[in-house]
Amino acid sequence: MVLELKKPRPIWQIMFSTHHTDVGLLYTVTGLSFLFMAGVLAMMIRTHLFFPGQNFLISDSVTFNRIFTVHGLTMLFLFALPVANGIGNYLVPIMVRYKDMAYPKLNAIAFWMNPIGGALLWLGFSDTSWVSYAPYSVIRAPGPAADMMIFGLKILGISSILSSINFIVTILKCKHPDLPLRKVPLFAWSMLTVSLMTLVAMPSYAAALIMLLTDRLGVSGFFNPTAGGDPIAYLHLFWFTFHPEVYIFLLPAIGMMYEIIPRFSRKPLYSTGSGVFAFVMLGLIGFASWGHHMYSTGMDFTTKVVFMIGTLAAVPASGMHVFNFLATMWGARIRFAAPMKFAVGGIALFFSAGAGGVLNSAMPLDFISHGTYWVVGHMHLFLTGTIAFGFVGMVYYMFPFITGRMYNEKLANIHFVMMLWGTVQVFFTQHLLGLEGMARRIYDYPPEYASWVQLNQIATVGAWILGGGFVAFLINLLYYSSKGKEANMDDPFGLGGKYYYPHTAKNPHHVGY
Amino acid sequence: MKRIIAVSIIALVALALIPQMHFAHAQVGQKESAKQYINLRAEVWNEFFRMTTAAFTVGAVVSGTMIWLVWRFRESHPKNKTPTRWEKLDDPTTGTYEKEGH
Amino acid sequence: MGHDTAEWVFVGIVIAILLYVGVDSWVVQKEVEEVPADAETIKVTGQQWFWSFEHQDGTKEISTLHLKKGHAYNFEIYGKDVMHSFNIPDWVVFEDVVPGHVNHAWFAPDQAGTYPIQCREYCGLLHYNMRGSLIVEDTP
Repeated sequence: MVLELKKPRPIWQIMFSTHHTDVGLLYTVTGLSFLFMAGVLAMMIRTHLFFPGQNFLISDSVTFNRIFTVHGLTMLFLFALPVANGIGNYLVPIMVRYKDMAYPKLNAIAFWMNPIGGALLWLGFSDTSWVSYAPYSVIRAPGPAADMMIFGLKILGISSILSSINFIVTILKCKHPDLPLRKVPLFAWSMLTVSLMTLVAMPSYAAALIMLLTDRLGVSGFFNPTAGGDPIAYLHLFWFTFHPEVYIFLLPAIGMMYEIIPRFSRKPLYSTGSGVFAFVMLGLIGFASWGHHMYSTGMDFTTKVVFMIGTLAAVPASGMHVFNFLATMWGARIRFAAPMKFAVGGIALFFSAGAGGVLNSAMPLDFISHGTYWVVGHMHLFLTGTIAFGFVGMVYYMFPFITGRMYNEKLANIHFVMMLWGTVQVFFTQHLLGLEGMARRIYDYPPEYASWVQLNQIATVGAWILGGGFVAFLINLLYYSSKGKEANMDDPFGLGGKYYYPHTAKNPHHVGY
Repeated sequence: MKRIIAVSIIALVALALIPQMHFAHAQVGQKESAKQYINLRAEVWNEFFRMTTAAFTVGAVVSGTMIWLVWRFRESHPKNKTPTRWEKLDDPTTGTYEKEGH
Repeated sequence: MGHDTAEWVFVGIVIAILLYVGVDSWVVQKEVEEVPADAETIKVTGQQWFWSFEHQDGTKEISTLHLKKGHAYNFEIYGKDVMHSFNIPDWVVFEDVVPGHVNHAWFAPDQAGTYPIQCREYCGLLHYNMRGSLIVEDTP
């Protein structure tokens, strides 16, 4: 246990610790705080779009552009990555039976880069959109904001490379000698895969950021066509990092579901081998599809075909995960406690988002979907529907372990229902908005398009429901972590078996650090 | 398991047939108006509807399976009163499927 | 039935569906990418935050584009400052405006009317208002 009930440690002892559970706690708390901050921005965006032509909440388009930029950056780099790292920090050393991460101090450094990067992103409040496509971010994006974003992302990139190195060394070198790699639990496998992917993917974006910065300073012209550069180069560098990054966000969530689903099904996993195979396949194929973000930039037919095949090739491996989950639940006796609900909801939405992804990858459909709300709906369905569902489920699963207390199951139920309902309502509606032709990232839309107005209002109501679910989550986190019932640490969910991984964590070995 | 395979095969056949209907329809439409250019937006939207047919067919099978799974194998289902054989283990998730013989 | 058979059957079905998706979109894409030989060229220039058009005969238009029903048009898309995306949603015409590159899109309107033109790639302050209109005239 980390937050000891009987003898609580002072906060600074946790903050300046290098023990993996403490760093994991810091990561998770930071990630969740940023989730709520960016969630408020999302609520502002959706509320603003409720009526066309309104400006009482967001008074001008610059502010709106800044808000959706920071919302995107925060959700991706300050929520998805830190929470995955946090849970990874908790569980990976336990899963590979080592006392700590391989490099504890490096681990703490990697964490402390997150608040700094986050501060740069939030204080700058850039308006480049999170992709910061080149000529705009070079020649038009205003002042210190864009530069602060570049530095913030640079720091976050270094942080994620450092933590990847740490995970790789922990899993491959510090693993207990009696534990063969193929017997390492699938969550650790997912962390290993994404860490290796980060190492390969991240440098290209790191280079792009430096080039962007020197372009902005006017000393180079890599992406500036008036100086002889080419914006398409930025797009390639960017998407070479950020298509694999999709899997870097996704696989830890899948790994968490591999942790939750067999436990609550009270049944062994259907096949560890196929899980490992699918992780590795996704890790490789994730690099073969970045071009599908660029179909419309004037790509020729052959290149489009290559990237379409690369994209489709990732589907069987994703399907294997879904199959594995469903086959594990088959013939089980499932206890639907909160973590299991979120995991199952996540699988359902993962499938929907994946089906939408197959449609996206079909070349002619790019004319319809690219750059519209269809894409917004699709990628949010992945990020909220699968990744946030997996993470939230895992947070509920770890809750008794971290706090020693039980969350409120009723409140968690309300959270689940509202989150599932809200997610479906917002993001499915946004798919339809895309088909109606509504471009993404627009501050306002013409009131004469009746279908846009209606669909936007449906989506906004869905967003409020989703937001309401997260209020329930916040109450669960804040109130029940200090005032909840004490958990039965052997079996907090009443499964009748052992609360296996978290339970085997020994009490802190902080002494040495 | 056999039932799922059967349903999937039926779904596949449906998938193969429905697009043909779309195709035929599009071709008839084109012959009637006898244009010299292909109708770009009809081509793309037809493709879109073929793809959504496929996606929704597969989606119906998968989410149907899932809803059934959740309903049938919940703890409170009448047929699920007796613990499974893995629950005799200290940690049910460490069991194997070996003894099951399938 | 073996432990793995079900999974292999499942993967096989998935791959079959993907093959269908891939082949179908190959066929359609091949078809829609072929620009008719007699298509009239229209130069489209996107800049912050309006569209300008130049017809083959040299006529220039800003924000509003007049075309004739039953003709094929090939858009040559130029960019002046940052990336935009030329989009006529009702006619499934969509291609990015990339400064330093010339992109192409084509269509042949077969229905008269007024249709919106919009920008579908984020381009800054007035991105939301970078709209124009396409007027397809009935005159042959």
